[in-house]
Amino acid sequence: MNALADGRPQLARRSFLGLGLGAGAALLLAACGGADTAGTGAPGSSGTLKWGWALPTSWDPVFSSAGWDVHVLSLVYAGLTKLDEHGAAVPALATDWTYAPDGASVTFRLRPGLTFGDGTPLDAAAVKKSLDRGRTDPKSLVAPQLVHVAEVTATDPGTVVLHLTQPDYQLPNLLAGKTGMIVNPKAFEADAAALATAPAGAGPFTLTSYTLNTKAVLRRNPGYWDAASIKLENFELYPLPDATTVVAGLQSGQFDVAQIPGSQVAAAKAAGLEVQVIPSLVVAVLDVNTTKAPFDNPDVVEALKYAIDREALLKTQLFGFGEVNHQPFPKGYVGHDPGSDDLYRYDPDKARALLAKAGHPDGVDLAITTTAAQGLPEQLQAQLKQVGIRATIEVVPAAQATQIVYVQHSKALFTDQFAGRDSAAQAFQVLFGDQGLMNPGRTTPPELKDAVEKVSRTPLDSPDYPKVLQAATALAVRTMPNVFLYSVPRLLARRRSVSQLPASTVVQRFEGVSVS
Amino acid sequence: MSVLRTTARAPIARTALAVLAVVAVLALTGGLLAPLDPLAQDTARILQGPSGAHLLGTDYLGRDVLSRLLAGTGLSVLTAAEAVAAAMLLGVVPGLASVRFGAALSWISLRAVDALMTLPFTLFAIAAVGVLGNGLHQAMLALGVLLAPLFFRVTRAAALGLDRAQYVEAAELMGASRSWILRVHIWRKVLPTVAVTTAHALATSLLAVSSLTFLGIGVQPPAPTWGGMLAGDLGFLAQQPWAPALPAALIMLTVGALNLLADAVRDAEPADAVRGAGPADTAVRKEHRDGLAAV
Repeated sequence: MNALADGRPQLARRSFLGLGLGAGAALLLAACGGADTAGTGAPGSSGTLKWGWALPTSWDPVFSSAGWDVHVLSLVYAGLTKLDEHGAAVPALATDWTYAPDGASVTFRLRPGLTFGDGTPLDAAAVKKSLDRGRTDPKSLVAPQLVHVAEVTATDPGTVVLHLTQPDYQLPNLLAGKTGMIVNPKAFEADAAALATAPAGAGPFTLTSYTLNTKAVLRRNPGYWDAASIKLENFELYPLPDATTVVAGLQSGQFDVAQIPGSQVAAAKAAGLEVQVIPSLVVAVLDVNTTKAPFDNPDVVEALKYAIDREALLKTQLFGFGEVNHQPFPKGYVGHDPGSDDLYRYDPDKARALLAKAGHPDGVDLAITTTAAQGLPEQLQAQLKQVGIRATIEVVPAAQATQIVYVQHSKALFTDQFAGRDSAAQAFQVLFGDQGLMNPGRTTPPELKDAVEKVSRTPLDSPDYPKVLQAATALAVRTMPNVFLYSVPRLLARRRSVSQLPASTVVQRFEGVSVS
Repeated sequence: MSVLRTTARAPIARTALAVLAVVAVLALTGGLLAPLDPLAQDTARILQGPSGAHLLGTDYLGRDVLSRLLAGTGLSVLTAAEAVAAAMLLGVVPGLASVRFGAALSWISLRAVDALMTLPFTLFAIAAVGVLGNGLHQAMLALGVLLAPLFFRVTRAAALGLDRAQYVEAAELMGASRSWILRVHIWRKVLPTVAVTTAHALATSLLAVSSLTFLGIGVQPPAPTWGGMLAGDLGFLAQQPWAPALPAALIMLTVGALNLLADAVRDAEPADAVRGAGPADTAVRKEHRDGLAAV
């Protein structure tokens, strides 16, 4: 191999190997493929829909730790209510509900003949047990949403009454989400831990197999209360596809529907895919910890809000899809406050003046904590530099971010996304509540607490409700440190064989969707 | 020196040296040669193709790609060299010592090297960064530790062969000290072998550095690196399908040139390095091959 045949070195095979190794490491190739699964031919339904989206942190709604999970859990669980395309509560397992005149209780009437996916009857007793578990389990993550519920009673098999400590008219919305998903008592009484991987609900589908972090296979639940609207026989769920390969994955049939980033919209359309831009409650936000320097000075927080050019962020991060936003709710949602639309318009001079007022005329140092350094953090860093904020980028592993940011509250500034919540009051609690996940400073002004209480006490159908909710929004964005950046629409690309998807603002639903 | 002269006469080696010379110049002066600020963003002109203003176009934040490639050369190459320097320090000295300073040291060092050779580069570097903090030097130290067995084995193999050479035994009989023999008779003869290993290790290290920066480990954006640029470009293949080819080509060219140079040095080596080593020659070559194969 290394002989000097004629006195001159020859090109050895290892040289080619070296070149090949370099080329192989430098060029990343992605290959993907998928196999169709035949339907079982149940009446009125057929086909398999393969959704590239995200697998849940837990299949147990009481212990699911990500707001994002609600989309997937809604496939296997049903609640007393559900949200329509505009985010308003409409009947689901319950046909209707009635508040007592003084707002001290709310009575839900169940549909007759309801069953869970395994055929177990779903009656008022089961609803009571399920809600009580969410309310009282010491480790429940939905318990804070149910603090106004003093007791749940099943007055007869078809009637459930929630007795309240104070009027809370947000409950019908709240119960449409994870908080109100009814879990089969037979399952959690036998082995509650098993629910993390084996859901037991009464939703449109039942889980038939699940491979952690890889794939979930679901089958249509013929006992679902609205089974007639479910046209899909099988449903396969996959983790969020990589931006680089998602369009190819859709073209090849690996996915039928997938979430895509804004950068891939043109490519998806060019590939003959349908793209739906569905307005959602998701908003990009910076979590600011006011107990950490330099944000322990309110002027620095305000300077941060004025230092960010949201239009530029929207253009590069979402390729123009979505809207600049200075508040937690998008335009068109009842809680959106028009008076806060341009509240923190990009004003670098004002940001510099605020920094100087805060005692930082020569600028200030801080760290942007994130789970992925490329993109938004880089752009934020450059924008902040313009006003004298010298930011470093600190990357924490995505798997540890929840612990580091939401539990330990050890970071001053974190790039985040708020997934929205079924109830406006719940959204306030998560973003601004003194125990809210996205309020690392753990402080809430008393006047904001009062405003949110007023929201809960105002009936959803009251003519005052929009005004009361928008007033709370206006107060929150002026008194809390969260820096809202832009609303993030749900960009779903689908193969032409899949029919139009419902444009659900809060939770993606699949009623009426078919695959040809 | 005759090894170097023989190497320099080989056309393959000349080509490789020319490529590496350009890379070295870019590594040392790339930032100065950059036509624009490699960190300057222009969000009105993102993902643009080549033009007079931007010869290689702009990236996803409107930064000049050519400037970033040039400025990124230093970080990419010098960090790889840092890892190799650490590996040489940790591998060559123990490799020589294990031959000359007793069986116990030899046994212990061989077992340590065997253990290190079982560890995969990228995973070990990620673990080291997780423990020591996400920094360039931490990652390079981890890489150096894992590359050290390569130097240890080839150095030890070469030294073992020379240790049994007649002129070494003659020197011992004449009362020469161990350190004198090591310095005069062994080290000079081992140098060509170390040179070959260094070139191969640099290529391996550059690939590992590129992989780590591709994953966002060690060097953080916005600092440009070849691996980091490759990772960033992959998200925008729909807009610029050719963009990843630029950093990829630089990685490929540099790694290829290093491997070609290593082969040329190695092919020039036998006439000088292990002449007269007799039966140990086979052992040297075998260990040399094994060492490289372990990469």
